[in-house]
Amino acid sequence: MSELKEQLKAQIIEQLNLEDLSPADIKDDTLLFGDELGLDSIDALEFIVLLESNYGIKIADPSEGREIFQSVNSLAAYIEKNQ
Amino acid sequence: MKVVATSYISVKGAFLNEKKIQHADDTNWLKSLYQALEIDYPKFYKMDTLSKMAFLASEIMKNEIAAVQTSDQDMQLLFANSAASQQTDLKYLDSYANGGTPSPSLFVYTLPNIVTGELAIRNKWYGENTFFITEKFDEDFFKEQLQFAFSRGNKSCLCAWVDTPTDGIEECFLFLVSEGENKPGNLELLNRLNNYRNE
Amino acid sequence: MELFVTGYGAISCIGNNVQEILHALKSEKTGIQKGKQAHSEKYLVGEVLLSNEELMRKFALKTTGSRTGILGAIAAKEAFQGHKLDASIRTAVISGTSVGGMDVSEKEYRNHIDNVPQNLHNYAHHSSGNSSEQIAEELGITGFINTISTACSSAANAIMMGARMIQQGKIDRAIVGGTDGLSAFTINGFKSLMIFDEEWCRPFDESRKGLNLGEGAGFIVLESKESMQKSGSNSIARLRGWSNASDAYHQTASSPEGHGATLSMKEALTIAGMKANEIDYINAHGTATPNNDLSESQAIINVFGNNIPPFSSTKAYTGHTLAASGGIEAVIAILAIQNGCLFPNLNHRNVIEETKLEPIKSLKEGAEINAVLSNSFGFGGNNSTIIISK
Repeated sequence: MSELKEQLKAQIIEQLNLEDLSPADIKDDTLLFGDELGLDSIDALEFIVLLESNYGIKIADPSEGREIFQSVNSLAAYIEKNQ
Repeated sequence: MKVVATSYISVKGAFLNEKKIQHADDTNWLKSLYQALEIDYPKFYKMDTLSKMAFLASEIMKNEIAAVQTSDQDMQLLFANSAASQQTDLKYLDSYANGGTPSPSLFVYTLPNIVTGELAIRNKWYGENTFFITEKFDEDFFKEQLQFAFSRGNKSCLCAWVDTPTDGIEECFLFLVSEGENKPGNLELLNRLNNYRNE
Repeated sequence: MELFVTGYGAISCIGNNVQEILHALKSEKTGIQKGKQAHSEKYLVGEVLLSNEELMRKFALKTTGSRTGILGAIAAKEAFQGHKLDASIRTAVISGTSVGGMDVSEKEYRNHIDNVPQNLHNYAHHSSGNSSEQIAEELGITGFINTISTACSSAANAIMMGARMIQQGKIDRAIVGGTDGLSAFTINGFKSLMIFDEEWCRPFDESRKGLNLGEGAGFIVLESKESMQKSGSNSIARLRGWSNASDAYHQTASSPEGHGATLSMKEALTIAGMKANEIDYINAHGTATPNNDLSESQAIINVFGNNIPPFSSTKAYTGHTLAASGGIEAVIAILAIQNGCLFPNLNHRNVIEETKLEPIKSLKEGAEINAVLSNSFGFGGNNSTIIISK
């Protein structure tokens, strides 16, 4: 699971163009859509693309994303459950 | 009308009022400029080339812009280029051309007027903004649009030629024009642009 | 200086010309249905059900090019019908488009990827400016030709630019509006933003989920009084007000308080020298996205207070025609005035909880409509409003 989380952090940085950050800057429980990272609704959509392209998981309703994308922890848990 | 300030962004660097204020690295030239100019706006990285160039050009002109601005509605944005959002259009096409998933963040930038939108968001400018497509930089066209703006009561306009042509250089020429005496005059826009290009 | 509308033309999924569109509006029938093309077949879209070749034949077009250019040429030709070219009447074409010749380019690009022989000449139609040139060429106009690319507010901005140029004495007459053909590029893009509705869209409805895309073109001819005296044309309406303002909030979402929209509506009224209570009908932008309709509702309340005029979004008829929407909806505004009709907001069942504004739910004829306000809001927070009157 921790390997998946590190992989996710790197993918998030690349997918969302967070060029000032390194994986070490994102903690497992950092609120991804909190104030720290300044992500917005387009970034939420890019998460959906990330899940589909990298893990083959399709999310049809963007509002489902809120819970799934809360943190790296919740994202990793969702992937493990749905792959 | 008179030109209050100009700035220019290209792979050669960042220029303000015809002086070079920052050199750009050969690789990742836009990122190198952003970091060297010590601007703190992480959303920069999400922008496409057009928006990045216009953003930097306006950031280095912040003081001159603040000096002429009288309200959050009077800064009219008058932008134009020849290639619209073609560069990003192709990147977006590529994101799904070979069975990939279309990228929403790329799609957002397949409209050239997102450039003016980004500047409006950054600076909280609620005035008018338009994006025109012309074959090449046209000084008469800008002067005409400026005349319209000043006749309406605008006091200042931020204009730009920001382009990513397939057969030319990526550049942003930003010029701040204020009403002055509202006589057309010779703004020497093309001369200024050529001076920057020949730096 | 007063500005007169002396011609109008449009093509969309509900009609290939203005009369057909009026008929469809009155019969309360949408033109949105399951797409017939490979790129649109999974979606409900407002397609013009003729191929490029069929369109060129049917409308005897002299020029050829992208679908965007073809649709634009058809609508502009209808608008300019009965007008004559005259060296003493300086005439401009100002057209808005978001997708330009992308429908042709993406097919060529597909050939490129699939290693199929290409016709590189087709890329010549790609640029936004090319569709405007195609329109001008079709009408035989060589004067001022310009292209505006500000997303869904492009046509309204083109109308605004034409108005200003006439008032400033730069030109006498302008054919202004917008055009966009449907392409895989656009469908994929809006899909990635997840703002489609898989059902028929429901503007201003509590259950609204998103938009249905459409395609088409809409143009009007603007003239000064002096120009009309020379050209001998008749006025069918007047352009009274116009405005553009920035929302300065987000690239694709509108501010919750509808700041930019409020500014553009207020300023258009000021330009028109009109009070809010002089507006008899609002043709809203009303894309049926959760975001736009709430934001626009709030802006309407900000401007009109307790006296909200009858309003509707006609996008449930035509689909969201992107850069063409301001042009097509200017034509619809004129039809409302000419025919005394309040066109309904199709598919509406329940008002939006937060704002409780109820749009026109069924066709009302015999209404006294003197002035119509039309909104067109584009990505990038580009908000435009025009006001048309008798």
